[in-house]
Amino acid sequence: MIDFTAIAEYAPAIGRGLLVTIEICAVSLVLGLLLGLGVALLARLPWLPLRWLIRSYIELWRGTPLLLQLFILYYGGPTFGFLPTSYQAGVLGMSLYTAAYLAEIFRAGFEAVPPGQVEAARMLGFTKLKIVRHIELPQMLRLVVPPTTNQMISIIKESAVLSVITVPELTLTTTRIVSETFVVVEPYLLLGLAYWSVTAMVAFGSRQIERRLVRA
Amino acid sequence: MSVLRDIGARDAAIQLRGVGKTFGSNTVLKGVDLDIERSERVCVIGPSGSGKSTLLRCMVFLETYDEGEIYVEGRLLGYSISDGTRKKDSEVQTANVRRNVGMVFQQFNLWPHMTALGNVIAALRIVKGMTRAEAEKIGREALETVGLAHKADAYPDRLSGGQQQRVAIARALAMNPSILLFDEPTSALDPELVGEVLEVMRQLASQGMTMVVVTHEMGFAAEVADRVIFMDGGSIVEAGPPQRLFSKPESPRLAQFLDTWKSRNASGSVSEITG
Amino acid sequence: MLDFTAVIAQLPRMAAGAQTTIWISAAALLCGAALGLVMCAARLSRNIFLRALAAVFVSMFRGLPLLVVLLILFYVPPNFGVETTPLTAALLGLTLNTAGYQTEIYRAGFLTVPPGHAEAARMLGFSRLQIARHIFLPQIFRVTIPALTNEAVDVVKSSGLLSIIAVTELLRISQQIVSSTYRPLETYLVCGLFYFLMSTAVSSFGRFLERRLTPKPA
Repeated sequence: MIDFTAIAEYAPAIGRGLLVTIEICAVSLVLGLLLGLGVALLARLPWLPLRWLIRSYIELWRGTPLLLQLFILYYGGPTFGFLPTSYQAGVLGMSLYTAAYLAEIFRAGFEAVPPGQVEAARMLGFTKLKIVRHIELPQMLRLVVPPTTNQMISIIKESAVLSVITVPELTLTTTRIVSETFVVVEPYLLLGLAYWSVTAMVAFGSRQIERRLVRA
Repeated sequence: MSVLRDIGARDAAIQLRGVGKTFGSNTVLKGVDLDIERSERVCVIGPSGSGKSTLLRCMVFLETYDEGEIYVEGRLLGYSISDGTRKKDSEVQTANVRRNVGMVFQQFNLWPHMTALGNVIAALRIVKGMTRAEAEKIGREALETVGLAHKADAYPDRLSGGQQQRVAIARALAMNPSILLFDEPTSALDPELVGEVLEVMRQLASQGMTMVVVTHEMGFAAEVADRVIFMDGGSIVEAGPPQRLFSKPESPRLAQFLDTWKSRNASGSVSEITG
Repeated sequence: MLDFTAVIAQLPRMAAGAQTTIWISAAALLCGAALGLVMCAARLSRNIFLRALAAVFVSMFRGLPLLVVLLILFYVPPNFGVETTPLTAALLGLTLNTAGYQTEIYRAGFLTVPPGHAEAARMLGFSRLQIARHIFLPQIFRVTIPALTNEAVDVVKSSGLLSIIAVTELLRISQQIVSSTYRPLETYLVCGLFYFLMSTAVSSFGRFLERRLTPKPA
């Protein structure tokens, strides 16, 4: 009843779609990490308007669906003369979305560093910048490994919505195969299997990293 | 102005003049006057909430004080006075005034991402800009002083509480301070680990280090202190040499405090600790 | 440049869409809670078959994009002679998705209850069911509120995906408004405001519950 030979000729297309998904997720993760870390560091400056701005960014981006954010960039951008390709809108949207979540994770990581450790550094003459660089940042980065790997899995799953703004990633490739071949069951099962195995692999990999960090 | 400030400060390590502090509506320090002389060993005792830890933290400006002045080695701490009004100093200026003061905390506050040696040399490298070789030489000596040279490469979570506190002392010592402050250094330790930390502190005292120790260890105070200060309700109630203070307390509050302490430590008595 | 007049005229429609979003999310969260608790019990049971089943369930629905689950639930069953409506596929998909997460939330909550509490209850003659009902559930509920709040916000946001299978919730209505007003930026910004208000309401309610249920220090 289930027969994958009907879509065998589409294997290369599916492979390309999978590669686009992985590529976009990797780029968004890296950009999101950099932006999220920058935002989390800026939020530590004692300048209230900036903190408010950052808080609003984090709350707004975490409080609305990614799909909607993509619509605003892709369909709303032209109102301001911003005409991104679907791929650009996708990467930009995913990066901003990821950065908002990571910034919040990093903030919590900073707050988890016991204040006594900062006092000890102050007593030894560390400046504020040196405290961030040598005391807070190294510990914060270690604390945020588990939530960040969770976020990675989220990114991979969320990336499926890029298909709606016609980014040629795995999900869009699959729906196109369905509409070309009228074969429904096999492509969608394959699609599910592909995501499940990628996310399961990332989950497995991150458990290994966490175990190693705990031992170190 | 600076001449005025330095008058009479030459001999004192730390001077407090009418120091007061409030948290909201709660007054924690009420006009405290105190001179810590060079090479003097002072123990501060008192019930919890008496303000003794706050007093110690004010001496290095980890807590701000609202009234009075604190001079560290003759220099006003935390504030600058210009045109008769005082303005809070920057963190860098404050750090400069207290640069010869080291602090040991109740919770050790070692940095978990560095080894014992890494903790000891971090400030030498990062703050003083020493080379790794120079810093490590000083760092190993400091660890030697506290008897932990063999634990140089261990991370804090692999050390006992007593060992962690000794590393914390080595970390303060490596900066070559002239004054060391201890904020209840043995209160977070299991009873069997208290002795090793007190031993290191005794050794420092015998070498002439200026020390201010907030503590519940009466035996240590009796043995090591030149002067014991009893605080209650945010003020110094009574001060003097431990022999007199422990055997003939003048104020009823100190007498009561010592009685309570005695009944909790049934095996020891004040006459025993004063020896 | 921005002109909201056309969109403001459509606010009642959007509010109706938001209402659909709310009730579908609430229904999915409740069904997901029931399924999640059952799966959590399976996950913690002594029966190895039940444990494996629950583990696969959790891994699957935490590992699959909701969009893919919805596509499968909506397009695959008709090929086997089972007709589906957008609404049933939507409710089922959202429920399975949140149940996967809620299972893990309850399990983590269960593990925070000290075993001594169950032992104490057993010594007083409580049955296993009574222990679960009176000792574990109240405590689990309290410690899991922050995680459940996040999950509720996630469900509200995820429900936007139902637009793909033509459920007329908030995002779908917004798309329809865009195609008649040609004002995508304004429409989607207002739509975003609706989602933001809903997520903020959910997280505020979560924090309120958390405060109410945390025992105050004497």
